[in-house]
Amino acid sequence: MRTTRIRRTALTLLIILLIIACFLAPYAWVVASSLKNQFTVFGDVTPLSWRAFVPVGATIENYVSLFERTNILRALLNTAIVATGQVVFTLLLCSMAAYALTRIKFPGANVVFMLILLTFLLPIEAMMVPLYQVVSGLGLSNTLVGIMIPWIASPFGLFLLKQAFEELPAELEDAARIDGAGHVRIFFSIVLPNVKVPMVTLGLITFLFCWNSFLWPLVIVQDPARQIIQVAIAQQGSPTQLPNWGETFAGATVATVPLILLFLILQKYFTQGMATSGIKG
Amino acid sequence: MADVQLKKVGKTYESASATTIDGLDLHIRSGEFVVLVGPSGCGKSTTLRMIAGLEEVSSGEIWIGERRVDELDPRERDIAMVFQNYALYPHMTVAQNMSFGLRLAKVDKAEIRRKVEEAAKLLEISTLLNRRPKQLSGGQRQRVAMGRAMVRDPAVFLFDEPLSNLDAKLRGQMRTEIRRLHKRLKATTVYVTHDQVEAMTLADRVVVLNNGKIEQQGTPQELYERPATRFVAGFIGSPSMNFLPAQVALDGGTLVLRLNNATLPSPADRRDALLPYVGKTVEVGLRPEHFLAGDGEPDLSVPVEMAELLGPTTLVHFTLAGVPCAAMLAPQHAHPEGSQQPLRIAHDRMSLFDPDTGGAI
Ligand SMILES: Nc1ncnc2c1ncn2[C@@H]1O[C@H](COP(=O)(O)OP(=O)(O)O)[C@@H](O)[C@H]1O
Ligand SMILES: [Mg+2]
Repeated sequence: MRTTRIRRTALTLLIILLIIACFLAPYAWVVASSLKNQFTVFGDVTPLSWRAFVPVGATIENYVSLFERTNILRALLNTAIVATGQVVFTLLLCSMAAYALTRIKFPGANVVFMLILLTFLLPIEAMMVPLYQVVSGLGLSNTLVGIMIPWIASPFGLFLLKQAFEELPAELEDAARIDGAGHVRIFFSIVLPNVKVPMVTLGLITFLFCWNSFLWPLVIVQDPARQIIQVAIAQQGSPTQLPNWGETFAGATVATVPLILLFLILQKYFTQGMATSGIKG
Repeated sequence: MADVQLKKVGKTYESASATTIDGLDLHIRSGEFVVLVGPSGCGKSTTLRMIAGLEEVSSGEIWIGERRVDELDPRERDIAMVFQNYALYPHMTVAQNMSFGLRLAKVDKAEIRRKVEEAAKLLEISTLLNRRPKQLSGGQRQRVAMGRAMVRDPAVFLFDEPLSNLDAKLRGQMRTEIRRLHKRLKATTVYVTHDQVEAMTLADRVVVLNNGKIEQQGTPQELYERPATRFVAGFIGSPSMNFLPAQVALDGGTLVLRLNNATLPSPADRRDALLPYVGKTVEVGLRPEHFLAGDGEPDLSVPVEMAELLGPTTLVHFTLAGVPCAAMLAPQHAHPEGSQQPLRIAHDRMSLFDPDTGGAI
């Protein structure tokens, strides 16, 4: 009896460790490779050996040249600005639109909602050309605003928040109206504080989406000084040179750090939000 | 304090095909405790929400005091409302919940504190002021919801089924509490419930609604003793009234009612009204306590199907003229299950209804 239980626990543990390893391996490879020189990066994966994940004779040379030779700090700053702006405006726009669609009854509300959701089905690649025409037509090509503007009206965000608003008891808003609050006050003082978890979720997803976006910024921004991080990493070598893979990996590592920090900070908030947001009906 | 008047108030929801409230006329006097009672879906909440301003009227007028309010925002109507689910703001403390309205009205901070503390003391929730709603029991939440209404000193208090989420014991306690508060504050109150016991115990005046219309209004006693319709008779009172068919006949010049094989003299005060029904069937309404046992010549005898001892009384169940009935008897006069129970009928207290219209005769 006891041995089977121990065996089962060990097996479960093994499976979990395997899954974790599968998830972590690519990151380990990236980080390890960023500490290697150009030759060992590929030498260690053909054939694949444990060396791929362990930088033997580590060097920070890649990082030094990354910060000295390229404008990665500028790109990081641009990304932070764009991502923050995109989060703020997405949250504002989606929450207000979702609230209107949930709580203000007007004929055709469902049709509007369906149409918005339909746009969700279009792949980004299919929208590139028309989006480029519209955004550059607005005079926003080569600007940070141009990078974020097509995405702040997010159908996914609308959908997520609409679900959250629907779960909020309408009596809360009735009570607030009787207490003397108008639409705007109710929205900011009563509704938003009670949908913190979906708001944080949407904020985080938006931030990630923006931080990792590649194709659109590549299309809309040509000036390297206005570029954001993922494109900047890819474009760091001059077109005539072979890419310096060690440096690319170093860039990727640097680009990941802020995301990890953000998750660590919000994770604490997250669990707290989960534990305290129980509204009893 | 103010009186509330509904003048031919109607409501038809846009999404609904039928009229929900149909030409409601109601005058609630200043300081009065009026309970709107009726089955689920009869339009009680709709009526209350129209008074509150949460729902627009489709027709008619609503007056609070000297002002016509049906075009005004809730905040301009000088009302406060307590909801079924309490509707406390989950992210605010008890004190913040209670003071939200005052803070919006930019009342002086010291004044807000004073009012919140005063209301909290009255409701015995002073120690809970810094808690959040989820850290409170159902009864405590209910008190906070009432406190939130009280601090605003409204002209009219509106309650929408405030006790229906509480267990039976707590409900009884809170009922007493609400009554005590009303005695003390003497504020005009409109209270909605589907529970007739609540209506009877709380109200100065009960208004029975059915299908969006007033079926009857009056003091609890009037409704209990002189129901105007069969609907009210069946709705008010627990255990509910027994309805039995009876033949109206003239027996040697006296008007009698033939109920099964019993012959009862007609109630003296309704003899004239009954005359047109001679030869016809009417519906007799008998409350369980209108059956008597003990001394005196019995009117009929019934086989006891079940006897429930309730403590001070025993509820005897039997079938009469094919209708399941219950009689409330003194335990010493109640016969055991399976035996015959002799019964007298308090014929002067019975209700009589026209079987076609359901109206009282
Ligand atoms: N917002 C609404 N839209 C359409 N119909 C409604 C709405 N609210 C209530 N009704 C309908 O109006 C009737 C009365 O409802 P309500 O006033 O809530 O009844 P009660 O409170 O007496 O149970 C019901 O038939 C209900 O379905
Ligand atoms: Mg209701």
